[in-house]
Amino acid sequence: MLKLQNISKTYSKGKVKAVDDISLHINPGEIFGFLGPNGAGKTTTINMMVGLLKPDSGNIYIDGIDIWQNPVQAKKQISFVPDTPEIYDKLKGIEYLNFIADVYDIPKDVRQERMEKYLGIFNLKNVVGDIIGSYSHGMKQKLSLISALIHEPKLFILDEPMVGLDPKSSFQLKEIMRQRCDEEKTVFFSTHVLEVAEKLCDRIAIINKGKIIALGTMEELRSHAVEKESLENIFLELTENE
Amino acid sequence: MNRILSLVKIDLNTTFGLSAIQYKFRSKQDRWQTIILIIAILSLLPSYYMIVYGLSEMYEAYFNIGQKSMFLLTGVLITQLIVFFFGILYVMSKYYFSNDLNVLVPLPIRSREIVGAKFISLMVNEYLTSLPIILPFIVIYGVKGNEGILYWVYSIIPILFIPVIPLALSSVIVMLLMKYTNIKGKKDLLRIVGYFLLIIIALTVQFEIQSVIQNSIMSEEDLFLQLITDSNLFVRKLGMIFPPSMWGALSLSNYFNVTGFLHSLLFIGVSIGIFLIMLYLSEKVFFDGLIGNLEVGTSNGSGKVKSTDFRKKLPVFLAIGLKEIKVLIRTPVYLLNSIGVVVLVPILFVMPTYMGGDHFMKQLNMIISGNPNLISLIGSGMIILLGIMNCVGCTTFSREGRNFWIQRTIPIRAKDQIFGRVLSSLFVQLIGISVLLGSIAYMGMITIDSIFWISILGLLGSIAMAELGMLVDIFRPLLDWDNPQKAMKQNLNVLIAMSVGALYLLGVGFLVYKLLGKMNMLFIYCIIGGIFIISSFGFYILLRRMIERQFLILE
Repeated sequence: MLKLQNISKTYSKGKVKAVDDISLHINPGEIFGFLGPNGAGKTTTINMMVGLLKPDSGNIYIDGIDIWQNPVQAKKQISFVPDTPEIYDKLKGIEYLNFIADVYDIPKDVRQERMEKYLGIFNLKNVVGDIIGSYSHGMKQKLSLISALIHEPKLFILDEPMVGLDPKSSFQLKEIMRQRCDEEKTVFFSTHVLEVAEKLCDRIAIINKGKIIALGTMEELRSHAVEKESLENIFLELTENE
Repeated sequence: MNRILSLVKIDLNTTFGLSAIQYKFRSKQDRWQTIILIIAILSLLPSYYMIVYGLSEMYEAYFNIGQKSMFLLTGVLITQLIVFFFGILYVMSKYYFSNDLNVLVPLPIRSREIVGAKFISLMVNEYLTSLPIILPFIVIYGVKGNEGILYWVYSIIPILFIPVIPLALSSVIVMLLMKYTNIKGKKDLLRIVGYFLLIIIALTVQFEIQSVIQNSIMSEEDLFLQLITDSNLFVRKLGMIFPPSMWGALSLSNYFNVTGFLHSLLFIGVSIGIFLIMLYLSEKVFFDGLIGNLEVGTSNGSGKVKSTDFRKKLPVFLAIGLKEIKVLIRTPVYLLNSIGVVVLVPILFVMPTYMGGDHFMKQLNMIISGNPNLISLIGSGMIILLGIMNCVGCTTFSREGRNFWIQRTIPIRAKDQIFGRVLSSLFVQLIGISVLLGSIAYMGMITIDSIFWISILGLLGSIAMAELGMLVDIFRPLLDWDNPQKAMKQNLNVLIAMSVGALYLLGVGFLVYKLLGKMNMLFIYCIIGGIFIISSFGFYILLRRMIERQFLILE
């Protein structure tokens, strides 16, 4: 579903290697966790996957489509929720959702059913007629999630999705992620919350200083680590050794 | 004082992005931008030269009737009026809508320190407006009149102090407006209506005073005798429109005697006085206007949603266009700079002709009756000029700001981006066309012909202008801003697009001038329409490529 082939990205005229020759292959129906300390290259990698940042080298395929060669076609397969929900403050929640639904050409009946479903799950039904500028950080985050789910993407990409969500919404999001995988759809997300990654992910990659330093299922990661109890120990061990 | 200085330092740094420029200049792409900017500024030079040439003719005219000081008054007056009107807009967004307020307000700083710092930073900004206007007046007066060294020394005073009074006045007006319109729920609407009323009242008062004074001068029996005996007669009379401008002009034109010295003192004294009054007033009213403004308002479910709202489906380009229009209308700064401009400019254009009285109208009627097509030609030219002045096209991507990620991660074809965004510009233009046609009708000069041609040619030309603006904007969108004012008024793309657009319009205008009288008017209209259609198509092709390219490579 998602294939990253030797992608690299440097900043400051090549002096800073943000992402260094990363390759990943993520299958349909998989929840993939992307971990790493601050500044490790997580957001840079995600930005390259969604078309916000052009890699210096390498290719990214979404369902076989090169996102940098055929961006519009590739973007139809994905949806993206960034770490900070910057959404048009002057639009109403409902207007923003309709805008996104228009872009993905969702029929009237389908959009109504999906909007009502997700607005109900994330408890935004009462405020969807208000201006987004009046929303709290968490509410914006939830609206961003709903807009990303409206077209039922094959690949759901999230950057730090749990930040700012209340426990109930966080739980709901995890449920949605699980359901999507049951429907053979793919979820890729970065997180700092190691427990979430440990419980939810089919496979995990740990990135540090732009390189993937560990990749596999929880079992596989455990088998390579000295401290085998938790992902936290494995994470600390790997990132400190670097 | 130290606090004000450090606030000013931070403010100037964020306003002009000094640190960001230092950082940026190292990269190649940004160096290109600098070169393009220089070219854009150079392309403004021919028009600027024409204006300066016209000014030196004006000096001669005043000189010949022994009223050359009137030349200086004109300069000071125009500069101060422009600073005043721009000031109202700048002050509103700088004092009340900039994001740094969220940081500044909780700090232990007094409101006069915040306002003082913002005022000084705005002053620096206003010099960019005032210097290009006042300098030609001062230089022409000094050079042509062979004025002595003392003149040049004295000239520093008006140059430095010119923005103080108009800016302080606009600060006072805006602070009062914000305090008394700070009513929950309706404040945006009230403020916009207030702003329009303010401008219209200010202009009406100006023109009324002007016409009263002009009439009184003309009706004086011994006018010619007075002209010879008092070389400052016009200045003293017409200066009453805005006395500070008169003091500025008299200080400079009488630099060789005590009158000049006294007027200099008066000019400086009143400038400082009004500034201090403004600071004093800020202690009383600034926070009152501000506090409600910082409350974004909490979402309380007051916006009702009907079941049909979930079922509104639009084609992509229309969805983009509608989104653009909604954001434009709901953001006061955007509204004032786009729709505000297309509403005010035609009114400003018509007002002097109306205020000029019957005599003026008769003359105008004579000119028009000589060539009835002039109305259509000038009208459509004006609409096209508004097409670039409304800033909608040339800031369309910049206005996305931090929301730009949305446009780049969802599957929108470049074609839809162009159609939707041009549509939003045309929406604004339609308002401009209605106001212009209304104004022409008010003067009693409207015909079916002119309605048709102004609408058709105006809209066709507006498409080209919007696309031209979008080309400039997508090449170097200004996305990193904290205050919508920066996306629209402090955006160099506006200047670049305006200069390129003005050149384009000058070219078409020149062609029309050459063709006038040589062929049937209908052919000329068709040629103009043809040029607009062909250039719109050409710009469209270019724009599609640029959008596809820039959406991939922007970082």
